[in-house]
Formats: sequence, C-alpha cells, structure tokens
Amino acid sequence: MLGIRRISTSRWWHKKKNWLLFAIFLFLVFVRISKGAFYKDFYFFISKPFWPGQFQKEIVLESIDQEYLIKLNLLKKDNIRLRQILFLQESSNDNHISAAVISRKTGSWWRQIILNKGSKDGVEIGNIVIGPGGLLGRVKNTSLFTSSVTLITSPESKLGVWLDRTQINGLLVGLGDDYPSLILYTKDADIKVGDFVSSSPASTLLPPNIPIGIVQSIDETLKSKKTAKISLLAKPQVIDWVQIYKVNI
Amino acid sequence: MNKFLIKELSLISFIFIPIIFLWHPNWLGFAGVQPYWPLLWLLPWSMINGSINGLIFGLFLGIILDSLTLDDSFTQIPGLIFCGFLFGRIKLHSDILVGHFRYGLICSFGSFLCGTLYFLQILFRNFSDSNSLMLTTSVKNILAEVFLTGFFAPFICSQLLRMFKFSRRKLQ
Repeated sequence: MLGIRRISTSRWWHKKKNWLLFAIFLFLVFVRISKGAFYKDFYFFISKPFWPGQFQKEIVLESIDQEYLIKLNLLKKDNIRLRQILFLQESSNDNHISAAVISRKTGSWWRQIILNKGSKDGVEIGNIVIGPGGLLGRVKNTSLFTSSVTLITSPESKLGVWLDRTQINGLLVGLGDDYPSLILYTKDADIKVGDFVSSSPASTLLPPNIPIGIVQSIDETLKSKKTAKISLLAKPQVIDWVQIYKVNI
Repeated sequence: MNKFLIKELSLISFIFIPIIFLWHPNWLGFAGVQPYWPLLWLLPWSMINGSINGLIFGLFLGIILDSLTLDDSFTQIPGLIFCGFLFGRIKLHSDILVGHFRYGLICSFGSFLCGTLYFLQILFRNFSDSNSLMLTTSVKNILAEVFLTGFFAPFICSQLLRMFKFSRRKLQ
C-alpha cells in the first residue's frame, strides 16, 4: 500500500515546480507569438515619464497654435475685404451672447433647447445659436428670461447649406433623429463621405460659412435627387453652454 | 392651506406635467426618447372623472404642451383629446394586479395613438420632400415611446389614481 502511494507521488505532474515551469514556458510562447507586444506596451507606459523632449513638444505646439491664430486672423481680414469688394454678406459677427442650456429635448419628435437668456438680454427671434463645434439651431421663441431654440435635427428645421469642397447648395432637413438629411436636387452632384457641410452664402436665414457637419453616408436610390446623412459637429445632447449670434443678413 | 392642497391635489399634479415635459430627464429615457408624460396623468384623471372631463383636460394638456414645443405646424391636441375621451370610458378593475398591468397596456396604446397622429401630421406637411427618410426614425421614436410609457404607467398611474381617490374621499 505504502509502496503504491510512493510511486503515485513521485509522478512529475504531482510536483508544483513542474507546473510553474510549464506556465513560464506557456508565457514565453505567448511572448514569442505576439512578437513581444506585451513587453513593448509595458515599456511604453513605464518609460513615459522619462521620454525626451516633453517640455520641448509643448513649446513647439504652443508656437504652432500661435502661428495658426495669426494665419486665421489674416485670412479673416482677407475674407472680410474680399466680401466687401464682391458685395457679399458679412460672416464675422462679434455681437454675441453667452447662454446656458436650462432645458433640453433632444430625443423623440420635439428637438429643442431652452436657454437662460431672453428678450431682456437682447435675444431676438431668428438669432442663430452656436455651440462648441458649430451650428445648433435658430431662436424660435423668446420670453423675458428664456429663449427657445429649434435644433437643426427637428423636423421643423429646413436650412440652406452647401458642400465646402464642391460648393453645391443643398437643403438640410431635420428628420427627428440625431442625423439630419442633406438633400441635393441634382442626381450628378459630386458628394463624398467625409465632405464638410457649412451654411450656404445663398441662405437667407444664416450667415455664411458656419460649420455644421460632415457627410456620414450617401443615399443614391432616389431618382431625381441625392440625399446624405450628416453627422453634426456640435452635439446638442451634451452641450451646456452656447453662443447666441445676431444675424445681419 | 392643507385642506386646499388635498382638495386640489389633481390640479396641482397637473401643473407638474409641463415641468417634467421640459425637464426631460435623460436618465429615464431610452434611445433619447422619453415616456409620454401627459398620458400618465390623463389616464387616472379620466378614469375617475369620466369621458367629458378627460376630453377637456386632454385639450388643456395639448394646448399647454403645444405652447412649450416649438413646432407651429404640428399639434398634440388631437391625440390627447382622443385619449382623454377613450380613457374616460374605462372602468377600474377589481383585481389590483391586473389593474396595474392594464394601466401599462392602455397607456402604451394611447402613446401609440398620439405618436402615430403626430407622425401623420409630419408626413402630411413634408409630403413632397422627405417622407421616406423620416419613416425609420419615426417608427423608432414611436416604438421607444410606447415601450417607455407602458413601462412607467403601472407605477405612476396607480399612485396618481390613489392620490386622486384620496382627495375625492376627503372632499366628501
């Protein structure tokens, strides 16, 4: 009996040490198959604080920002000058009011936000509302202390926009979901996924060149027109602060 | 003051519907859609006060909610009037448990009715433009609203019904 037990305990698989070695072997096989990815990633994290040029990178980025800012100002001035020459509408407008979103209906049929600034603060019907990213909608109604904004995703909203790349005018229609639809009334319009959509200079409701969104998908099933889903740059469901601009068209 | 509050409990709760409609708590929603709050108040009110009262308060609710939403061309009044009248014809069930589930089903049906009527208005308005594009979104909106309204109705309607009955009993 004792003899049998001794034989069974002396088998290799009864030794913990052997299992440990087997586990290490498996780990090494994994490292080999993954071509050391695990080690490289680990090294990436532990060496991050000691990377060279962190400080230098910040200085470079700051300089680039300043350069862009100066270029932007020069382009803005150029734009205003050229628009004056061509008798086009003004796109720059510094007369804006900051407001907080106090009520938000961004689901279902009713797509609107209510802001904490009203007629008392100079908000007027037809003013445009811009959030971080781009256009959110237009002021439809004002009370003394609040103003209600119809979002561009609302089924009520219809705006003139254009594709920046090809400069084709179209109609942006809210469908009651988060992606309004761009309707181009020509079958052979040049439109691609990723095209940038901004307000049209031909629009009578909006100043030109306000960023709106990016073409997400294109539907070419209709006979006489092309439609595209637009992913908005400004997300009304998360924005808490907006700017109200007066429109001088 | 206390007596007044008990007496006007139903009307005080009526004031809160537009507030909750504006508040639009996202954490109670599903796919960005909220339950159709006015029906959750209209059902117990109409069940206790009858069809005519239901119809009148359906109209009132519709007027208030239409003024809160910015859609000039579409109205919630027809759906709410019809639901108010319909709910007034429903009698209370003796079995409490069955009653609870009935609230859910009735409110779901009412929400479907209101949603469809609203959608038909949108379709009619945009008949030439983009009705085919709106179909999927609208069906999603209606279904999400029906589900949520039916889900919350057993909890809220039974509580409101109890409150309205209590205030009525105190009056007598």
